[in-house]
Amino acid sequence: MSATAVTASGRPARRARRRPSPLVLAAAVVMGLVLCCALLGEVLAPHDPDAQQLLVGLQTPSFAHPLGTDDSGRDMLSRLIVGARAAVVGPALIALGSGLVGTLVGVSAGYLGGWRDAVIMRAVDLLYALPPLLVAIVLIGVLGGGYTVAIAILMLLSAPADTRIMRGATLEQRARPYVDAARTVGVPPRRIMFRHIWPNLLPLLAANAFLTFAYSLVALSALSFLGLGADPGAPDWGRMLSDNLPLLQDNPAAVLAPGIALVLTAMAMNLLGDWAYERLADRGRAR
Amino acid sequence: MTGAAANGRAAEPLLRVRDLRIVAGTASGERTIASAVDLDLVRGETLGIVGESGSGKSMTARAIVGLLPSGVRASGEIRYGGRDVLGLRGRELQRLRGAEIGLLFQDPFTMLNPLMRCGEHIVELLRGADGARLGRRERRAEAVRRLAEVGIDDPAVADAYPFQLSGGMRQRVGIAAALARDPQVLIADEPSTALDVTTQKAILARLKALQAERGMALILITHDLRVAFSMCDRVEVLYAGRVLERGAAEQLERRPRHPYTLGLLLSEPPGDRRVAQLPAIGGSVPAPDDVADRCPFAPRCEWVQAECTAGPPPLVPLGDGASSACVRVHELADEIARRRALAVAPRPEQPVAPPAAAPLVAVRALSKVFGDDGEARRVPALDGVSLHVDAGESVGLVGESGSGKTTLGRCLLGLERPSGGAIEIDGVDASDYAALSARDRGRLRRTIQMVFQDPYSTLNPARTIGATLAEPVLARDARVRDVRTAVGELLERVGLPAAYAARKPIALSGGERQRVAIARALAVEPRMIVCDEAVSALDVSVQAQILNLLEEIRRDAGIACLFITHDLAVVRQVTERVYVLCKGELVEEGPTGAVLDQPSHPYTRALVASTPRTDRAWLDAPAAVPAAEA
Repeated sequence: MSATAVTASGRPARRARRRPSPLVLAAAVVMGLVLCCALLGEVLAPHDPDAQQLLVGLQTPSFAHPLGTDDSGRDMLSRLIVGARAAVVGPALIALGSGLVGTLVGVSAGYLGGWRDAVIMRAVDLLYALPPLLVAIVLIGVLGGGYTVAIAILMLLSAPADTRIMRGATLEQRARPYVDAARTVGVPPRRIMFRHIWPNLLPLLAANAFLTFAYSLVALSALSFLGLGADPGAPDWGRMLSDNLPLLQDNPAAVLAPGIALVLTAMAMNLLGDWAYERLADRGRAR
Repeated sequence: MTGAAANGRAAEPLLRVRDLRIVAGTASGERTIASAVDLDLVRGETLGIVGESGSGKSMTARAIVGLLPSGVRASGEIRYGGRDVLGLRGRELQRLRGAEIGLLFQDPFTMLNPLMRCGEHIVELLRGADGARLGRRERRAEAVRRLAEVGIDDPAVADAYPFQLSGGMRQRVGIAAALARDPQVLIADEPSTALDVTTQKAILARLKALQAERGMALILITHDLRVAFSMCDRVEVLYAGRVLERGAAEQLERRPRHPYTLGLLLSEPPGDRRVAQLPAIGGSVPAPDDVADRCPFAPRCEWVQAECTAGPPPLVPLGDGASSACVRVHELADEIARRRALAVAPRPEQPVAPPAAAPLVAVRALSKVFGDDGEARRVPALDGVSLHVDAGESVGLVGESGSGKTTLGRCLLGLERPSGGAIEIDGVDASDYAALSARDRGRLRRTIQMVFQDPYSTLNPARTIGATLAEPVLARDARVRDVRTAVGELLERVGLPAAYAARKPIALSGGERQRVAIARALAVEPRMIVCDEAVSALDVSVQAQILNLLEEIRRDAGIACLFITHDLAVVRQVTERVYVLCKGELVEEGPTGAVLDQPSHPYTRALVASTPRTDRAWLDAPAAVPAAEA
């Protein structure tokens, strides 16, 4: 029999590359725009976002005001652009703060184990059982509202989730021989936790920060919507949404624009979080 | 299919593979896994495919049954019973697998579905003579019959879930399931690698018996030459995705024709005698694409010449059924034969060093129970074990999984706290590290160090080699000013270039990582190193390098060693005294040679009898004691 070469399987050789998918690219573009607006809001905005034109009042979209104005005559596009800052800074602070607390507490609990772990994790369970938005509403009601208070409360209530994740990941790393090896060399526990184990948790931590960001953005905006977050009149997407709700009939753009901006930003952050996790985890393997 | 009468070698082979090439598509282009692989399998014979990790042996097996992972493609010719397997699709391929070619995987712990009863794994696809599904009662009867065939006489096993069984039992169920539809060919991919030696022997013997009963052909894929030679009629040696040598098993063992085969044979530690030094092959297995245009073994071959790198050498038949892919096969024949004969000659045992005045490590009546006092599940791991290691001495601690050998090592290092008994290291009571003063603890850390088993997780993936080594250097003496130089010297001492300090572990091969792990243990200049299965995850050729390195370090620095291992051949090569541990209890101790040559305890006898040898007799010899699960 003559050896006839037969090529198997018509499946194309190319697999999904690590090049970001169009969806991730789109998410990156959205986040890029939002970040630009957050940094350069006043420069980019065509009008002063707080300048009222009480005599003119509400305007529908026009060349001068692409998204129209609200009932005080403030330019909606400018407010949307400047509002990006509140949409970025608050959630970013929450993500960073809760990540920091979660890392410190979670890694310690996971590495030290024993009664410290038990105490910490029961406290975390307790906090975890509370619905964050509801608690935030009650506390802000008692403490008297404000953007800063809202951020602090959400930070505190996001930390338990981060703590759990970090503890779990620490437990997994702790069982590895490299940790045992560091122990036998006599490396002190704190150094093992934060110089040996922590770098291996970075991909997880980074990805989680993105998700916390997305969640906090929605939660903060909800609080603002309810009048418990951003101060009245401040250019904040959630606040704009509630302030302009009565204008839905007259200038739908004034209501829909901040809503769409919120949804797009939150979605973009989620997508980027997933992508960042894959990338970082791969790099962890490849470096 | 050809007639059933065709049973001889001259007949059309049952399975015929020609010019098989396997490639994986990756982000950076195509990566070759195997190329130009040929093999023939006739009815009833056993073919061994031998290779180290990365040789492409598992993928070759998967290609034969069309089970390649996505992104991996095969081309060439695979004919089974006159059909072209690579052209088969969907249902045809399904019919081929299981019914005609059975496949048995390595890992008995993941091979069975945890939610399916063992019996169901076996009878899942069985049909009656009329093609109808079997009734409930018939299915069970069939499952029990099949289990009996693989040596499980307890019918209750058919109703057990996999997690309720030991590894050996699971592997037996796996065999029964692979054979359920009476295939003509069984492909066994490292079927006994994950098992203890006594279980391994029982499983291999059972496979051999089943094969004879059924007249079935067997392809045995293994990294263990001893297993291959004792089980197989013919052997193909795979290296970096290419066949380097093929021939009858006996002939290959006695008279290798390729430098790589010779190297493999020599670097395998012999189980029955001690050699002065294992002849290791330097370097590690290359990626197939890096050596595509030359003899793949050329970078590691001591006889390499210009012609070796001129092009990939073809596999040349040598007339007596053997083939070799060495271009210098005829020139080297005499030299290879000489080396082989030299290695077979026995060397004298190393004399046991006279006992030192005070032992460096003394363990007295050590016990360890896992689980707290109140808990229902209390697992005893060690029960009244006493041993001692003197300064500069090399001691073996042998046992199978669950014997408590690793627990003992971890107790010595303070990674576990003993439940009872005493440990004294260099005059310090080390029974409870937590209760020691910082000064004493520091002293213990500088006295005793450990090398762990798994080269892939023993180094922190996020830190460079330099950072990993700098820590113990400073732990020994915080005043060291030039840490870089100290790290460089350490790396050179374990045979690595100093420039490796800048690398992350991912850029290193398994053997190189284990060298770094040894350097880390050496950095504090300890007086004793505990090696917990330090070479068992490595390829044979690399294992010999690491054993030689450890031996050299021990000799030069006078460091005592405790070798924790399941491998008697390794113990024979590197230790002077040995302790045998069985289910947490010490059953035998003495000079290594004496214990292994004339074992007195039945368990030690069973271990010695189960250690693979290249001759067929070890498989047929009855176990000295009935192994727990045989």
